[in-house]
Amino acid sequence: MAAMSLLLRAAAAWGARRAAGGSARLPWAAGAARLPGTVAPVRYSSHGKRMFIIKATNFYDARFLSLLRFYIFLTGIPVALFITYVNVFIGEAELAEIPEGYVPEYWEYYKHPISRWIARYFFDPPEKNYEKHMALLDIEAKKTDLRMTELEARRLMRQRGDGPWYHYETPDKNLIDNSVKSTPDN
Amino acid sequence: MAEGRDRDVYTEPSPRTPAVPNPVTFFQAFFSYVVDAPVTFVREWIESRQAKNKFYYYHQKFPRVPDLSECMEGDHLCFFEAEAQWRRDRMVDQQIVEIVRERLGACKQREGPNQFQNCAKEIEQLAQVTKAYQDRYGDLGVHGNARTCLMKQKHRMIEERK
Repeated sequence: MAAMSLLLRAAAAWGARRAAGGSARLPWAAGAARLPGTVAPVRYSSHGKRMFIIKATNFYDARFLSLLRFYIFLTGIPVALFITYVNVFIGEAELAEIPEGYVPEYWEYYKHPISRWIARYFFDPPEKNYEKHMALLDIEAKKTDLRMTELEARRLMRQRGDGPWYHYETPDKNLIDNSVKSTPDN
Repeated sequence: MAEGRDRDVYTEPSPRTPAVPNPVTFFQAFFSYVVDAPVTFVREWIESRQAKNKFYYYHQKFPRVPDLSECMEGDHLCFFEAEAQWRRDRMVDQQIVEIVRERLGACKQREGPNQFQNCAKEIEQLAQVTKAYQDRYGDLGVHGNARTCLMKQKHRMIEERK
């Protein structure tokens, strides 16, 4: 603001000098290239003329950035404080050799205390995951085997004709009534 | 040569202008009082608090399971375990190559202009390790698994037999 008023004052002084020597110069260059507040040299009591500056609004931008900062820091600052507390007062684990005869729990393979806590209370042990995976594979493998054997059995029964499938029951030939065609005149 | 010069044998020449103090010592003292000492103090305070209840983490040791070549045909569970073990072994081999490469880099940095003579052991070791890695895991591609690796080994053995 102060620089703006200094600039306007300098421009007003320059304009005053220009106007005073304007008769010696070209007449059409007298009123060219002026700042809006410096058309006529005037003495103002305050810091330059009060200007109504017309520019595009930054209300929405400022509001957006303010809201963004608010919502990020709303949870960001507590989380940062918590993580700082954990790092300073609890600290990370130290690497050690597995002692003889000791089987570490599955969360004791992580370094950071928050990772250990999450692994211990939220996630399943990786052994359980592994076994679940193997159980699914086992079921699928058994299904595949059964389907392959079924296809093989079908193929053989169709080929040999001695199994219960591809075997259509026909009535006994003793049940056929031949009296319809037994005389030549029917 | 790596552990510093013997000061009695290689004496430094006496400085010619002892009256002018070295400005570097001033900056070193400034750094050590303004930055180093407070940071070290805070760090040691934190570590003294953490040393009261220490806890440890370990590197997981996986028990060995039968290899892919020892699995019966159609035993998909055995295939799965052998595949998992093969992937772990491949990761270990990748880390081995990385460590040997870092050793060579450290040796070159340490020796400077003498690297071509003094780092010969590290260069030889890196060449052997990368050749072994390339032979075993080399052109399997991104979809390489234990089965393709076994087939590659089979082909290598056939080539050797010829």
